[in-house]
Amino acid sequence: MRNLANKAEAPLLDIDNLKVDFHTPTGIVQAVRGLSFTLGRERLGIVGESGSGKSMTGRAILDLIPHPGVVGADRMLFRGQDLMAMDSKARRKLRGRHISMVMQDPKFSLNPVQTVGRQIAEAYRIHHKAGTREARERSLAMLEQVQIREPARVYDLYPHEVSGGMGQRVMIAMMLIAEPEILIADEPTSALDVTVQLQILKILDDLVSQRGMGLIFISHDLHLVQSFCDRVIVMYGGKVMETLPAAELADETARSRRHPYTLGLLNCLPDLDRPREKLPTLNRDPAWLA
Amino acid sequence: MTNAAISVEKLNVSFGDSHVVKDLSFTVGQGESYGLVGESGSGKSTVLRVLSGLNRDWSGAVAIEGAVQPKTRAKAFYRNVQMVFQDPYGSLHPKKTIDDTLAEPLAIHGIRDAEARIGKALSDVGLPASFRFRYPHQLSGGQRQRVAIARALVLEPSILLLDEPTSALDVSIQAEVLNLLSALRHERKLTYILVSHDLAVVGHMCERLLVMQFGRAVEEMAVGTLASRAPQTAYAQQLLTASEGFKREG
Repeated sequence: MRNLANKAEAPLLDIDNLKVDFHTPTGIVQAVRGLSFTLGRERLGIVGESGSGKSMTGRAILDLIPHPGVVGADRMLFRGQDLMAMDSKARRKLRGRHISMVMQDPKFSLNPVQTVGRQIAEAYRIHHKAGTREARERSLAMLEQVQIREPARVYDLYPHEVSGGMGQRVMIAMMLIAEPEILIADEPTSALDVTVQLQILKILDDLVSQRGMGLIFISHDLHLVQSFCDRVIVMYGGKVMETLPAAELADETARSRRHPYTLGLLNCLPDLDRPREKLPTLNRDPAWLA
Repeated sequence: MTNAAISVEKLNVSFGDSHVVKDLSFTVGQGESYGLVGESGSGKSTVLRVLSGLNRDWSGAVAIEGAVQPKTRAKAFYRNVQMVFQDPYGSLHPKKTIDDTLAEPLAIHGIRDAEARIGKALSDVGLPASFRFRYPHQLSGGQRQRVAIARALVLEPSILLLDEPTSALDVSIQAEVLNLLSALRHERKLTYILVSHDLAVVGHMCERLLVMQFGRAVEEMAVGTLASRAPQTAYAQQLLTASEGFKREG
């Protein structure tokens, strides 16, 4: 069964009023405008359309916002430690070791001129005092854990020699080898076929239920989030429209309680069970961003 | 069949040693919307590229509206059959205005009233006339895909080949583009072949579909079969189950 956040324990992540601003020559672009949430040992989904600020939220937590972006927050705590008060060196120590991120596309996120095994071993050795042999053994075990059948063969392959699904598993292995408490997965499966997608989700799911990891699952796919996550944050224009239990996304009887944006997103999906002549389109209300 | 818009018989395509489409046969009726479904590497996009004349290395027989097609197509063919590609960010020339993009097919086919046709194509896809002299980077993804559709429609074809036309778009924009494609089909009696990995999109847009795997046809079915979850083959069933989201065991 799912083990949800233990109430007595401090949340893994506690964020209040997170803002990400980009200072551009033509003015300030607010990518994230006052986002607050806590993350326990659970699967938290963040959904929204492109430009809603969902990826920026993940990057802000890791201190990976590029120039000229500026991150501000009233509170950003990782297991009680104040992330805002840390310098970039301390943040770097957390990154990868305690909080990791799986990017969307393995093709662009792996180093093309190193074998995948070496990259996984490197991720391990950065955070642990270990020799090459131990790192190699750990990496092989990790590859096996993400369901790669011949780890010893795959270890010596270059990124262009592995398929998309395998590349994504390599990325996940690399992110998990340091055993982080929080994994941020930014559209980890949207470049993959449905059947491979389900295998990857199974791996992530096991990590949450068996190791008690906290997972932030960023996605634009409402069906997937609804079937996979415990809770869901719906974002639009950098703001949270609503936070709800994932099961309620599909619940027809709970529709009246839903935010109009969430409903709009759900309605405009084609549905095999509800054939319609014309799909409803989304009417955006400027008041949502007020 | 005489009334078939597209008929494909024993189509085979190989790239070097890999045989990517194997003995594929199907027919699409006049005015029908037909879906090609499968995972990456199933050969569905290759089939479209053969139909559109982009891939000239194939064997088998392809007939469009009853006329058997040679490997190198006649100019008139391209007036009748047009394609819309997956990625609206990659399929429009970044240094050409929308006007240039829409004028080029007209110039190639020596059509005179370009001015009026471009204006009409833009209004048909619901873009304001003021967009005509913009560049692709000044448009959103959904607007770009509308331009790509306008480019295909400006020659008034009767067959549109759609290669994942909405997979790069947000769901709300996807709904707009799908509505536009449906409306255009009904207005102009167009025939569509829609390639997609999204069964719900195919279910919404098509009357029949073909499930492909490793370059072979696995199962052809009516959309009703999909909606009633009754495919015959295990693979089609598996795709359908996988598309319904994640399931925890126990």
